[in-house]
Amino acid sequence: MTSRDAILQRIRKGLANAAAAGSAGLAPPPVPEVWPRGASDPQVLAQRFADELAAVHGQTIRAGTMSEARQQLAELVASAGWTTLGALDRSLAREVTADLPAGRLAWVPPDAEPGRIAELPAGLLTAECLLADTGTCVIACPTAADRLMCYLPPACVVVARVEQLVEHLPAAWAELSKRCTDPRASGELVLVTGPSRTSDIEKVLILGVHGPMRLVVLLVG
Amino acid sequence: MGIDNQDHLCGAPFLKDKTQGLYEPSPEFASLGRATEYSSKHNRAITDAIPCFQDWREAAHQIKRYAVANLDTLLTQFEANISARGATVLWAEDAAEANRHVLAIARQHNVHRVVKAKSMLTEEMELNRVLEEEGIRPVETDLGEYIVQLAGQRPIHIVTPALHMSAEDVGRLFAEKLGEPFSAEHAHLTATARRHLREEYLRAEMGVSGCNFAVASSGTLVQVENEGNAGLSTATPPIHVALIGIEKVIPRIDDLPVFLNLLGRSGTGQKLTTYTHLIHGPAPGRKLYVIFLDNGRSNVLADPAAWQALYCIRCGACLNVCPVYRRVGGWAYGWVYPGPIGAALTPHLVGLEQAGTLPFASSLCGACGEVCPVKIDLPHQLVHLRHRATSEPSPMNSRLERITWNLWAWAMGGPRRYGLAMWAVRWGVRLTRFLPWHPGKLGAWTRGRELPRVPGRSFRAWWRKRGGDGGTV
Repeated sequence: MTSRDAILQRIRKGLANAAAAGSAGLAPPPVPEVWPRGASDPQVLAQRFADELAAVHGQTIRAGTMSEARQQLAELVASAGWTTLGALDRSLAREVTADLPAGRLAWVPPDAEPGRIAELPAGLLTAECLLADTGTCVIACPTAADRLMCYLPPACVVVARVEQLVEHLPAAWAELSKRCTDPRASGELVLVTGPSRTSDIEKVLILGVHGPMRLVVLLVG
Repeated sequence: MGIDNQDHLCGAPFLKDKTQGLYEPSPEFASLGRATEYSSKHNRAITDAIPCFQDWREAAHQIKRYAVANLDTLLTQFEANISARGATVLWAEDAAEANRHVLAIARQHNVHRVVKAKSMLTEEMELNRVLEEEGIRPVETDLGEYIVQLAGQRPIHIVTPALHMSAEDVGRLFAEKLGEPFSAEHAHLTATARRHLREEYLRAEMGVSGCNFAVASSGTLVQVENEGNAGLSTATPPIHVALIGIEKVIPRIDDLPVFLNLLGRSGTGQKLTTYTHLIHGPAPGRKLYVIFLDNGRSNVLADPAAWQALYCIRCGACLNVCPVYRRVGGWAYGWVYPGPIGAALTPHLVGLEQAGTLPFASSLCGACGEVCPVKIDLPHQLVHLRHRATSEPSPMNSRLERITWNLWAWAMGGPRRYGLAMWAVRWGVRLTRFLPWHPGKLGAWTRGRELPRVPGRSFRAWWRKRGGDGGTV
């Protein structure tokens, strides 16, 4: 008998005994309503997102139009002194980096070596959606390079459109759960709420323990 | 300071002879007390501010109850769903078998270096020791775990493993073990760890992690963390091995938001932790192994009154509020899981014969049950285990104790017997004072307490002299 069979058999035997005591074979409990739906005005959500992200030491840059966003990004790269901004090839990333000088931008291929990604001073990511109530970016990472871009560069820029803002996790859940149940899904879906942090030494908060020390969300629209 | 990793302690050592923690708290435990008090107040303020928090707790409790009642179906469902995306699922009945699986994977892929995200399950397995014995270098990457590993200690808390160490302690440790110049500055120490661990992520051939939730309906492996070390440990090396206790499975993907909301708030007082990883399966070109570990968990199922011990989501809230934990720290519980949940879970996993004293390591004040985000009735779990520990083979089921209680029952059976017993007790206490040393349990009792002063005569004698009815006091 394999260990799998042995474990399952032991579970079934235990549950059969429990059934005799009236505790097994319960009906599935209803899915809890976590938060009721509230505001949906994008501008209200954008402000709430910026406030919540600031509370976890992240930064939001608002840009009214795409051309403004391009300019904001170029200024950010220059002022932060990033020699190169690494980016994964996505349409929104292409659009927003159009004004960056060619030498300042590096496209990261899906099979990039972790060591190369670690050398980038900053990485550019695109979000699937943003959660206003928690200041969270939801980022799809189907490849290893996607995942590494979230954690390895010391600074992280996430680009998203205002229309991608939703109120909270439950409001985004219909879409996110669909991705999770997709049998072809690979890699991970990661919810990022602020820069990497620790308070493991004397409960003192320090940013950037392993992952990015700086998280900037560029919100377009 | 600390307990050697090789120790296989169990039970509640501080209930036997290691009573220093109770009577002479050391400075490290004073800082532990302050830190846990701070955490519990902070988290309480956050959970109290949410009107539906109690509804979430009840919902999470019911979902976990359903998950345990359907454990076999949900485990196989998770297995089918994550296998379909290319993950390899292995099963282990005990820690030794799980270690064999990990070693076999490491040998197959010629692994020499392993980076580890924090996982209490791998503490159960003593995976680090096993890997080291095979010449494989395991590096803990959670900052607290890294510190504890460098110091050769075990975690003192399940969420913040190095809670007992000051910045000076960590600075001295880094100077000694890493050859870094001494610093007691938090930012500097963190940057030092970052620099050292960066190299480890990039050089490791395998990453090992635990798992917070395994979602059956979608085959999603969920991990929450703040540092980013779990993301780096599972994404940087080409192989990721995830160890999952069989009780971690939850039925539906739609159940997840309520657990994420509860775990962040109860664990660290955050709305959401910094990183929540929903891992679907291996990325192209990568390998993902999932190991389900039983290690005593299935023993709990036959006793429905004990099921709740399997609902735990390891937030650490019960540790932070526990007056006993605050005083004695995590090592005193003798095994991997400290605090009230340790006292309620460990006896099931390692058996009452080894851990039968643990359920008595509680004042039953009830604070743990009040804060538990999945509403585990911890005080009653402990009482249930106490009952079992005194009626089944365990250190608490002793002949001396049985004789004592039988004598008590006999003495309470009639006024004459009672009078005789009280006379014996009065003289016993008077004479005990003159003993040069107090043996066994008596010594443990008198170490922290004054013997009561015995009055010249009994209440009954006083009552009779006063003219009352001596027979029916």
